[in-house]
Amino acid sequence: MIRLILIRLLTFVPTVIVASMVLFVAVNVVPGSASKAALGIYATPQAVKRFEHQHGLDRPLVIQYVEWAGKAVRGNFGMSFQNAVAVGPEVKKRLPVTLQLAGMAFLVAVGLAISLGALAGFYHQRLPDVCITSIATLFGSVPNFWLATLLIYLFSLHLGWLPTGGYVPYSEDLVANLRGMILPSIALGVVSSGLLIRIMRTSLIEVMSAHFIETAQSKGISNFNLVIRHALRNALIPFLTVSAVEFGFLVGGVVILEDVFRIPGIGSLVLVGIINRDYPVLLAAAMVITMIVLVTNLLVDLLATMIDPRQVRARN
Amino acid sequence: MGRINWRKYGLLIFSLPVVVLLFCASAFSSFLAPYDPYYLDVMYMLEGPSSGHLFGTDELGRDVLSRTIYASQISIVVGLIAVAIGMTGGTVIGITAAYFGGLIDNLLMRLMDILFSFPAILLAVILMASLGTSILNAMLAIGIIFIPGFARLTRAVTQTVQRQQYLEAAICIGVSGPRLIWREILPNVFGPVVVEAAVAFSYAVLLESALSFLGLGAQPPEPSWGNMINTGRGFIEQAPWISLAPGMALFLCVFSFNILGDGLRDLLDPKLNK
Repeated sequence: MIRLILIRLLTFVPTVIVASMVLFVAVNVVPGSASKAALGIYATPQAVKRFEHQHGLDRPLVIQYVEWAGKAVRGNFGMSFQNAVAVGPEVKKRLPVTLQLAGMAFLVAVGLAISLGALAGFYHQRLPDVCITSIATLFGSVPNFWLATLLIYLFSLHLGWLPTGGYVPYSEDLVANLRGMILPSIALGVVSSGLLIRIMRTSLIEVMSAHFIETAQSKGISNFNLVIRHALRNALIPFLTVSAVEFGFLVGGVVILEDVFRIPGIGSLVLVGIINRDYPVLLAAAMVITMIVLVTNLLVDLLATMIDPRQVRARN
Repeated sequence: MGRINWRKYGLLIFSLPVVVLLFCASAFSSFLAPYDPYYLDVMYMLEGPSSGHLFGTDELGRDVLSRTIYASQISIVVGLIAVAIGMTGGTVIGITAAYFGGLIDNLLMRLMDILFSFPAILLAVILMASLGTSILNAMLAIGIIFIPGFARLTRAVTQTVQRQQYLEAAICIGVSGPRLIWREILPNVFGPVVVEAAVAFSYAVLLESALSFLGLGAQPPEPSWGNMINTGRGFIEQAPWISLAPGMALFLCVFSFNILGDGLRDLLDPKLNK
């Protein structure tokens, strides 16, 4: 098992390096676009040259990457093109906001998935199963930005229960903070729950056909205890790995929903970077989101290895 | 008349009418739409649904229904081309990886793994920012995102085929190279790829409208479900119908293509045919 964990940890480093290269290339895919974007299309050639020299953009891409990566490792993401402010502290300030939103949305998704998925799996091929499976497909097909718009219309404008957007730090006012996070985390979580409900259902159906379930049933255990104490625990292990992948998808959705709800997190920083044509900001925000995804995948893989080494060995 | 096998065809029966309707809406927009989608009627700005304008009018007096119908063109075209890019790229990479094996396989698939771990919308947004906002670039960006999924799938199927005896037989009689791939491997890859393509299509439509919603895809005044929902967001209190019609259309489109994918899977899954 220790060998498996070590291998997984060792492959993490090249993964991060290649991922950062892909991002760097994606942002700089059109040569000279950074300066043109920052200065506008009417910039004189001299101005472009000066700008590129000032920011080191006239050097080969490889050297630019190495320099950027070397600094990024130490949390230094360079200076913003727009206002010459260091990007690193801005990212650090926004990170907890995004983590809170993604975490709460993930709780919504996992909560829905475990309860509804287990219910559907238990009533396999009966009415509750058919209903829940349809609902899961429905949830998975709703565009999250449209759901957010509908939720704002219903709960904020029509009923007036919750704010339409904005963000209050939890250190300032915990209740206001949570109230503001309810709608975005529902909009984000419900969409992700679509796939997770199905996974939970399949996984529970598989476990329910195992011999130890029959043994438990023959002891005369109640259905509730059977699912909660015996079946669910075993069904959760495969569910865990898929939910980590889904978490990555969910973190991507932050880019849209932070914009809809005017939440100052990393996701809206990506859009700020794009709208202002501020490539250091864009690159830093994108890298941080990617790191959140990669680290979650790593942690879940390690956790899964510790819970059940057989599975990981079988997969490799 | 025999009974319909609902377990086998049920999902297809539900989804196909909507899919056909969507393709008709985009192919015959000019016949189906009651108004010109760009016609500004300042006398009827932000009018609610009525017999004249079934889904009301937007902030410039344009007919929401007509714009919703015309917007299906962008969604369908972007979906088709993006899926074609992803499918071609992914199939080539997947078969190459499985056919050559060894180091090439390892390198290609590790790269696919890493591309796969990026949140799709993040990658799409970044590519749009660096390539420039246009519908053509949206197709390209979304297509690139689909490559790893198709590559993994075709690689897995190819590896299964490679273990079959008929492939051994084909190799024995001297079939090799392109002919082996074309005649023996590709036909087997076809089924699973079609299922994946239906689901990818729904996802492409979703991504395109997300990009347009953020202002990175189709540019106004060109109607797209995404930018219509975004416009409607600003007038949600006075005129909720502006974002309702395109939202419903988008949701129905994504939903029916998801079901179509499930239905095709049921149809092609030999376990259910018994």
